[in-house]
Amino acid sequence: MVVTNNFLVKSNFEDTEFVEGDFLDVLNYVREKVYSGYILVSHPLGASIRMLFSPVRSVIIEKYDIDLKKSEALFDESRRLIDESIERYVQIIGKRNPDTRNTRDYEKIDYILLKSAIEEIDFINNIKRGETFEVRA
Amino acid sequence: MRLELRKISIEGVEFGERFEVRGKTLIINKEELIEELKENPNVKEVSIDIALPGEKVRIIPVKDVIEPRFKLGSDSGFAGVTGEVTQLGEGIVNVLEGCAVVTIGDIVGFQEGVIDMWGEGARWTPFSKTCNIVVDISVVEGLNPHEHEETCRLVGLRASEIIARASKDVTTDKIEVFDMGTNNEESKKYPDLPRVVYVEMLISQGLLHASYIYGVDSAHILPTIISPNEELDGAVISGNCVAACDKITTYQHQNNEVIKELYKLHGKEINFLGVVLVPEMTTLNGKYISCDYTAKLCKMLDAQGVIVSEEGYGNPDTDLVMICSRLEKQGIKTVLITDECSGWDGMSQPLTDTAKEAVAVISTGNVSHVISLEKAEKVLGDPEAISNIAGGWTGAYNEEDGSMKCELNAVIGATSEIGTHNATVKLH
Repeated sequence: MVVTNNFLVKSNFEDTEFVEGDFLDVLNYVREKVYSGYILVSHPLGASIRMLFSPVRSVIIEKYDIDLKKSEALFDESRRLIDESIERYVQIIGKRNPDTRNTRDYEKIDYILLKSAIEEIDFINNIKRGETFEVRA
Repeated sequence: MRLELRKISIEGVEFGERFEVRGKTLIINKEELIEELKENPNVKEVSIDIALPGEKVRIIPVKDVIEPRFKLGSDSGFAGVTGEVTQLGEGIVNVLEGCAVVTIGDIVGFQEGVIDMWGEGARWTPFSKTCNIVVDISVVEGLNPHEHEETCRLVGLRASEIIARASKDVTTDKIEVFDMGTNNEESKKYPDLPRVVYVEMLISQGLLHASYIYGVDSAHILPTIISPNEELDGAVISGNCVAACDKITTYQHQNNEVIKELYKLHGKEINFLGVVLVPEMTTLNGKYISCDYTAKLCKMLDAQGVIVSEEGYGNPDTDLVMICSRLEKQGIKTVLITDECSGWDGMSQPLTDTAKEAVAVISTGNVSHVISLEKAEKVLGDPEAISNIAGGWTGAYNEEDGSMKCELNAVIGATSEIGTHNATVKLH
């Protein structure tokens, strides 16, 4: 499922949860989901400061309700990452407003990067999360 | 592999009738260059300008920077990209040192990256000291963003090759040789020196966030071993158009300072085993695989120490600390090189992620550090772009004197995480 405030993503993907609001609203919604049975599939933040100023953001999450023993580590990791991401985002954006002058371009790039993330998932689709799976603690 | 770089010092660039080097001045034929670059059917128009150190010229937004080089007896070029697929890392290469091709022209409106050739801004970019040949590319209608970016990338690389023809018959005393045998051979020579691997992280997340290894997009690959010679010889190219301060431009790959420094110490203080290139994946699963694999490759190479450099900021911080923790848990000492985003006062948490094993970290500067850019006499590129740059906030622009406050993250190469930079951090 894609949590997004990007209209371009909403109109081109089926499994989306649209958030009315800005980048931070998307992160906060992801956090709500991550604390109620979902894990992060893609990282909440982009790969450059520039992308942090984007008015739009899309994050892929998935429902994870297999037996608790194996999945606790993944839940912990997702929760830790979303909490840290929100904290850092708020600190970095500071007094600035997201760069709404370039919303159209950010929508395009966010959409293209999302497609890239989905391609990445397809490439590594067969990962099995077994007992030896160790999440960095 | 043996790579010989013959450095021809350039201290000035002029337009003229032919491509040649006269003393320390590079002469280029503007019309011929433009004509050849326009052979690419996606190119609508190309304009060429020169920007020299000290001139009150601003170049913005910068897409890539490339060092012009000419390999003697071979047209390998950037193999797999501008030339046929072939092995790089060997041979004799003439380098126009002190000169750079700088491409401009935005693919998207929020692109940034400024090079000021004078004043305060010049202090913060390595490219205020190079004689820059600025190539502005506009493309034909109807291209999608991928095609647009690819065109700009190819034209920049081609421009550097055409210009480098000027060096074809020039001789020089300034020669740098990079010569290394197999790991086995080197380890037999230096059995007691600590074995060190350099792990270089590359931004690999899609359009405008890409890197290429022999032309292969690093977005969907596993970490891979490469010889340091290959990177120094043009095997790694930048498709990163977003992170001005810490994007690794092609020029910086060609002159990777971490690689050059490790090479200098090889056989004296360390046994430099080689380089592992690591794609920074977008998904968490991708990161787990990439980081596990990286640590495994280092272990297979029997590294005792690893230096890890990052590209970008944000989600790659997670990969950086994951690689560190996996290596340290295997008993391999790890040093990280990264920039930080610690606010205007430098006091905030520097990275977006942490690990208790990350205890040896070199900071290449605070991207939030605010500087003041004076009004330029001439702008190559988009004069409006300056108001787009990361850090634009109310009060940043001074209408009286036309100066602009901006954060370092808008300046090309300001906090380069592979060492081509002027900034570092002082502990109080």
